[in-house]
Amino acid sequence: MLRIDIPERNEWKALAHELGFHFHTIEGEPYWKEDAYYQFTLEQVERDIEAPTEAIHEMCMELVDKVCHSNALMQRLALPEHMWDSIHHSWRSGQPHLYGRMDFAYSGDGPAKLLELNYDTPTSLYEAGFFQWVWLEQAIAQGILPRHADQYNSIQERLINAMAHLGDRIDARTLYFSCIKENDEERATVHYLQDVAVQAGLKAPFIFMEDIGLRPGAEHFVDLDDQPIQAIFKLYPWEEMADDAFGEAIPQLNTHWFEPPWKAVLSNKGILPLLWEHFEGHPNLLPAFFETPQSPPLPAGWVRKPFFSREGSNIELVTPAGHRESVDGPYTDSPWIRQAYHPMPRFGNNHALVGSWVVGDRACGMGIREDVGRITKDSSCFVPHAIV
Amino acid sequence: MSQHDHTPHLPRRKRSARLSLAMMGASAFGLTACGQPPQEEQITGVDFDQPRSFQSVEECVAENVYTRSACEDAYEASLEEVPRFNTLEACEAEHGEGACTAPTEEQAQAATGNTGGSWFMPAMMGYMVGSMMSNTNRGRSFERVYQEPIYRNRQNQGNWNTATNQATQRVTQRNNAMRSSVATSQRSGFGSRSSARGGWGS
Repeated sequence: MLRIDIPERNEWKALAHELGFHFHTIEGEPYWKEDAYYQFTLEQVERDIEAPTEAIHEMCMELVDKVCHSNALMQRLALPEHMWDSIHHSWRSGQPHLYGRMDFAYSGDGPAKLLELNYDTPTSLYEAGFFQWVWLEQAIAQGILPRHADQYNSIQERLINAMAHLGDRIDARTLYFSCIKENDEERATVHYLQDVAVQAGLKAPFIFMEDIGLRPGAEHFVDLDDQPIQAIFKLYPWEEMADDAFGEAIPQLNTHWFEPPWKAVLSNKGILPLLWEHFEGHPNLLPAFFETPQSPPLPAGWVRKPFFSREGSNIELVTPAGHRESVDGPYTDSPWIRQAYHPMPRFGNNHALVGSWVVGDRACGMGIREDVGRITKDSSCFVPHAIV
Repeated sequence: MSQHDHTPHLPRRKRSARLSLAMMGASAFGLTACGQPPQEEQITGVDFDQPRSFQSVEECVAENVYTRSACEDAYEASLEEVPRFNTLEACEAEHGEGACTAPTEEQAQAATGNTGGSWFMPAMMGYMVGSMMSNTNRGRSFERVYQEPIYRNRQNQGNWNTATNQATQRVTQRNNAMRSSVATSQRSGFGSRSSARGGWGS
């Protein structure tokens, strides 16, 4: 794994706008960066990223099964009690899921270490699945990369297959898509998923989360025309939905949600200590434990994370040398876990994080984010990768 | 599918051959991977049709889209990928009680090339069939069927659909007065507390 400086493609910003990638620059700061790329060998990709991703995914499915059959584990993960039946039922009935992303600390040498799972509302999907692929094709065509260069990326192709699978099982092949208002990046990610769904032959109408209706006596949540919503994809986390005003209505209505309720088990950082409990010593896992009131102040070499947080918020770490780093945020109302600190590889001033994608039950691609700090945040840049 | 064997060899690669956007962006966009030697006949474009999933060869044939041999090829290919176990117990330990079966003679034939041997596998949950059209620079087209299991076999999974899976807690006592035509929908029950946190992607 190397970080290699290269020329940017001609006119890529115009192309980005043409392709709906309006957030390549966020608040004046670059988000998409292509003045460098991360170079991998095929062996690094297949042995160190793809195979461990599939292995950990299977371990996670095993744990979901355990949690779904144990009220004690549901409680330990702070899953709200009114959601237990929905979680259990969606798993038992085999409601398929669409996608997830694992974040790894990986330097090119030694096993990749799982930092966390983003299995409910992962983003950076369009960048990884589509724009990164276009970058590679054009970089080859423009002589920036050699003709034999490749990329670990069949994300979009597999999303289309998975959507087709869902479409066959959904009434009228209609899947609504939703996210909250006033967030352009999330709206763009959902727009991309709608595009994928259309390519898979689905009807893919959009509705904002705030506009979803609850109609007395109806068996489904309703859209703005009061028509029943049979199935809906939401880029909005389960723990928030469950606490929202309509949360108690979710188990009583027949609207099917994607990701399914059982993904709440995996979108929760409490899954990290559970993974360690069940698969202690696995080369791709870091030691992790639930924090208790008796836990001492955070010692050197440990990281503290809330059960529920996004974009690096409320994470605190102390390096083995005693350097403390933290990101503030609003996620102070859930329990905490502690995870052994593992250094992120550094390339110049940048710390790189490997986001490894799973679609259906298959590992199928990756995207690299980098940040000058040790905690990857929403402002961390996306840098493309190639296998050379 | 007699042309099948003449399809030019695609090099092993980790990325998709062709991607496009249907509705995002200013215009429909499609790009095809390069990487073929320039002198020989080369594939200039690969199109996938909409893949479908089937529970059995008969269901695939009944759909009247693919030929029987295409349905059978895809079924065989997916059988080859099904995990095999020496004992029923080993299979059930991984896939759940009651989720495993011994292969039929046809399945054993398809998976291993002979009908003998004693092994167990998770019951098939269906397989994907799609066709892939490859166009070359000499104006020839090759169609071939591809298949791919998207989801692994798991206990109780595979037959899910929205019609047969209804909520566990039905609203048992509906208030008829509330079902009258004057009932209006409530909104803002999701997401309205979220402005403080900005966004949800991760």
